[in-house]
Amino acid sequence: MGGGQKKGTVTPHEHNPRSRSKKRTKSGKKTKMKKKNKRDLEELKKEVIMDDHKLTLEELSAKYSVDLTKGLSPQKAKEILLRDGPNTLTPPPTTPEWIKFCKQLFGGFSLLLWTGAILCFVAYGVQLHFQKESTKDNVYLGCVLVLVVVITGCFSYYQESKSSKIMESFKNLVPQQALVIRGGQKMQINVQEVVLGDLVEVKGGDRIPADLRIISSQGFKVDNSSLTGESEPQTRSPEFTHENPLETRNICFFSTNSVEGTAQGIVIATGDSTVMGRIASLTSGLAVGQTPIAAEIQHFIHLITMVAIFLGVSFFALSLILGYSWLEAVIFLIGIIVANVPEGLLATVTVCLTLTAKRMAKKNCLVKNLEAVETLGSTSTICSDKTGTLTQNRMTVSHLWFDRVVYEADTSEEQTGRSFAKGSETWFILARIAGLCNRADFKPQQETVPVAKRATTGDASESALLKFIEQSHGSVAEMREKYPKVAEIPFNSTNKYQMSIHLLREGDSYSHVLLMKGAPERILDFCTSILLDGQEYPLNNDMKEEFHNAYFQLGGLGERVLGFCFLNLPSSFSKGYHFDTDEMNFPMDNLCFVGLISMIDPPRAAVPDAVSKCRSAGIKVIMVTGDHPITAKAIAKGVGIISEDSETVEDIAARLRIPASQVDPRAAKAVVVHGSELKNLNSEQLDQILLNHTEIVFARTSPQQKLIIVEGCQRLGAIVAVTGDGVNDSPALKKADIGVAMGITGSDVSKQAADMILLDDNFASIVTGVEEGRLIFDNLKKSIAYTLTSNIPEVSPFLIFIVLSVPLPLGTITILCIDLGTDMLPAISLAYEPAESDIMKRLPRNPKKDKLVNQRLIGMAYGQIGMIQAVAGFFTYFVILAENGFKPRDLLGIRLFWEDRSLNDLEDSYGQQWTYEQRKVVEFTCQTAFFVSIVIVQWADLIICKTRRNSVFQQGMLKNKVLLIGLLEETLLAAFLSYTPGMALAMRMYPLKLMWWVCAIPYSFLIFAYDETRRYFIRRWPGGWLERETYY
Amino acid sequence: GLILLFYLVFYGFLAALFSFTMWVMLQTLNDERPKYQDQITSPGLMVFPKPVTALEYTFSRNDPASYEAYVRDLKNFLKPYALEAQKNLSVCNKGGLFEQNGPEYIACQFPVSLLDECSGANDPDFGYSQGNPCILVKMNRIIGLKPQGQPRIDCDSQDTSIATIITYPPNGVIDLKYFPYYGKKRHVGYLQPLVAVQLRFVPENAGQEATVTCKIEGSDNLKNQDDRDKFLGRVVFKFTMRA
Repeated sequence: MGGGQKKGTVTPHEHNPRSRSKKRTKSGKKTKMKKKNKRDLEELKKEVIMDDHKLTLEELSAKYSVDLTKGLSPQKAKEILLRDGPNTLTPPPTTPEWIKFCKQLFGGFSLLLWTGAILCFVAYGVQLHFQKESTKDNVYLGCVLVLVVVITGCFSYYQESKSSKIMESFKNLVPQQALVIRGGQKMQINVQEVVLGDLVEVKGGDRIPADLRIISSQGFKVDNSSLTGESEPQTRSPEFTHENPLETRNICFFSTNSVEGTAQGIVIATGDSTVMGRIASLTSGLAVGQTPIAAEIQHFIHLITMVAIFLGVSFFALSLILGYSWLEAVIFLIGIIVANVPEGLLATVTVCLTLTAKRMAKKNCLVKNLEAVETLGSTSTICSDKTGTLTQNRMTVSHLWFDRVVYEADTSEEQTGRSFAKGSETWFILARIAGLCNRADFKPQQETVPVAKRATTGDASESALLKFIEQSHGSVAEMREKYPKVAEIPFNSTNKYQMSIHLLREGDSYSHVLLMKGAPERILDFCTSILLDGQEYPLNNDMKEEFHNAYFQLGGLGERVLGFCFLNLPSSFSKGYHFDTDEMNFPMDNLCFVGLISMIDPPRAAVPDAVSKCRSAGIKVIMVTGDHPITAKAIAKGVGIISEDSETVEDIAARLRIPASQVDPRAAKAVVVHGSELKNLNSEQLDQILLNHTEIVFARTSPQQKLIIVEGCQRLGAIVAVTGDGVNDSPALKKADIGVAMGITGSDVSKQAADMILLDDNFASIVTGVEEGRLIFDNLKKSIAYTLTSNIPEVSPFLIFIVLSVPLPLGTITILCIDLGTDMLPAISLAYEPAESDIMKRLPRNPKKDKLVNQRLIGMAYGQIGMIQAVAGFFTYFVILAENGFKPRDLLGIRLFWEDRSLNDLEDSYGQQWTYEQRKVVEFTCQTAFFVSIVIVQWADLIICKTRRNSVFQQGMLKNKVLLIGLLEETLLAAFLSYTPGMALAMRMYPLKLMWWVCAIPYSFLIFAYDETRRYFIRRWPGGWLERETYY
Repeated sequence: GLILLFYLVFYGFLAALFSFTMWVMLQTLNDERPKYQDQITSPGLMVFPKPVTALEYTFSRNDPASYEAYVRDLKNFLKPYALEAQKNLSVCNKGGLFEQNGPEYIACQFPVSLLDECSGANDPDFGYSQGNPCILVKMNRIIGLKPQGQPRIDCDSQDTSIATIITYPPNGVIDLKYFPYYGKKRHVGYLQPLVAVQLRFVPENAGQEATVTCKIEGSDNLKNQDDRDKFLGRVVFKFTMRA
């Protein structure tokens, strides 16, 4: 920046030493990196420091050694470009792709599986070394495990990169041109080539190519909304008007837009050193917290890993105690690990989240980070912008006052509302003033577009009037053609009025009329009469009283009110008279007052409904706006953020006729906090406000204060969603648990900082997002419950094998077939499950208590359903062995003989003798049957996992088609694995007799009946013992 | 507290259900013959003495300790074939399948004398002390198996300069009268036919390994070739006589 080390404006946060010191001690424990981020965050809350705006033009010219008319010489520009680099924002540092890939490869359960694979290779090596006769089984298994890790890793990586690609497509590339003057020559160059000290010319519609100090201008206005949040166009001229560089008129900022006029300026900063660039780079440096779902998944991975390690190690020890060799114990360990890890689960979770992300994208919520899908569901507070998010972001005429009556205009987006007294002569005059004394115009080639949606030039209120007249009166262009403008005084903030004189032709005679609009009290000062039903009446005190009442009434609605008046100029001003607005060679008093028109940026139609949905869903909606408190409160009331019957402290005070200071703030549900009050609050006071009031509006806040509000909410344990579109919002977006940027009006920097983008800028889309987020959380629970259940029938065969010394009932490869084959699609299909009840009628989940995987879920999956499944598998296993000649009691302790390769005459219960290979075929047939049994009991498991409380008969089987496909798919896959010729060689899976499929079916019914009964009791006695112990 | 009771009841019920289904399943089984025999259609071959791990035998004829375990194993194995043990069995007609309809099932005698030098009758060391060790080969029992043709066990030494082979009974013939087998329950006292293989080591080449392959031949329904199962209808073993 300008190199000046002037002190920054005092930030609100510096009034708040307590919270800062708290932060310090907290961050003191963390790493250096975190400390740096914290400092950055503090810095962001400070305002901009620079001094170029205070320099005179000569000083400026000297500082950048540039000629103010000819600009830099091309050579010098080239040198500076070499020195400073191109004028672009450095993209935020991204994690290299290979690191992302490695994270997928070694994160989650992968480490456990890697361990398993390594143990396999070690076991093979040991076997090779000590025994001549070694089998390749272990190498085979090791390779399969590595393959599993790599494939699931690649899959997750692919899913994630796909979702980040959506984002990349979104980045709007700005290959813009800038007009610079170098060596006296005007030239168009790429914005990237603009250098410090360049003389730049900008005109209406351009994007400002760098931070500029204006040296000359003609009616130049810029829209700084992406930087400050203020959407009103601001005049920019060479004068130094304010200490604060953001407020002074002679500075324009990089990547803001010019609205109208032209200007020349000297580049005072480029690229990352611009104000915008500084915010962007600091924001991207902010540490991002873990998303709630990531924390949940980590918690769950830890849980499962602990179980796996505990079981693995204890059975490793047990098998050594039982007299198995080290090698055997290691092989058991591998089996237990593989059985305990739900290999396909993380991929399932990713797919479920992706599905929801896609569904949300269809509903205009673009999710950048997959995990943010669920974060939205756990949101307990939404800090929403007003402009554009809650409102339509277009000024619209809402009320008119003429003929002593207040009329309501139609503000709906579709223009389907009522009309008003258009027959009055006064309305005719009012419409003429509003249409003629108006500098706004439609942009060309929009004849087919509905009036309300047409783009206009000019400021928001004038455009509102233009559209309103076009809609309710007739073509403004025709009107302007008929009554050409001969002179005008544009609106400025000192006059607070706008005047124009038009030529009026009636027949052959010409006359002039002076039309004026402006701040109502200013307009009234000019008037001595008032128009009622087309007749002029003297403006007496009664009339003034009525005017004031109307003005007060409309102002109280938070609307922007304009007054209108006119004067028919005497015929002495004939056609061709030169009206000089500087010398004022015409009268401008004793005007006739016509009426008032008030405008507001009306709420979006869907917002009130969305806000009430949030409320019933236990989500607090806080409005944070830069607008005036009255406007903010009016909109808040309009959309239901402040409900109809609730009062603020001021309202109570007014009702009881006592001073506001005597009202107990706790008595008021609602509160409107002014930005200047917020500045003076410490964090305890802010907490008190956030705790004591359910309906909160922050008005006149700076974007920096948004960050403080977000921190306040998070301090109280809320999961906060924040909407924002400006660059200055980006720290708050990043700090929030979920930052929501606006797709249409949002700046690139804010989109980059956000986790989610609302493609239609509509608050209601957030609510659909919340709904989807909650649904996916519920469905993930079901998915995980389903997947975890089959862990018990997977791990128990190993344990039984070790303890009872029977032939191994289920092999490692078959386990992988379940985890990565048959269980996958059914688990994913649960993501399509519709909600069981109105999920928007319950409170947001408490991230501390409502875990994704809790002990009840584990209890259900492992302790109850899983056990039934295991029993089903063992039953099938014993049936097959018995029917082939090995009765159960003869199996106990048979393992040592069974596994002996040189024992080729093992006797069965009938006296027959089996070679090693013959009995192994039976064993593998048993394993195939065990696998098939798991598939069959998983049918029932899938059906019971559809619901957590309702009966399947309430939920219906047919709504979720994917689930039906899942059932079919797992069955077909199981049949395929069992019956395909060659599977015996490849996977050691063997064809089964039909009766062996049937063995597990009674257990399937048992699972279904048991869980239906359990859920019946839960419904019958809500909050009862069974619910407390088994409702997950 | 209550949850423990819940699980106790739950698992108790589950165990009861499991036992019940197992009981039902066992009721459907026949004690005499397994329900399915499709996994065991053709018999495997097994040799005695039973090798410890792989099928490799080493001994030295001068060192009785080196073959003591083999001899003991053979003696144990031949115990049921002792004359005393066989005296209740019948002498059956030679040369044909001996199909029976019960209810009493007769087991046929297998005279050890058929094994000649390897019967242990004349030579309690089974030839080990002379450098002509005996190995017994037997065909696995399969209920109801009826070999076609005239099955015999055919043994070959890969290199006759190391050892030559003699089989007893001559040609390794297995008499069909021992088939079919009717199972442990019905066919009490059943003795399966044996074939003995005697290796005659050439003393000059002592110390070298002799590889012997035995196969079932002469019967169409007894397989002797399977990619995976190296013991289906055949057996390969290695014998080394240390000098």
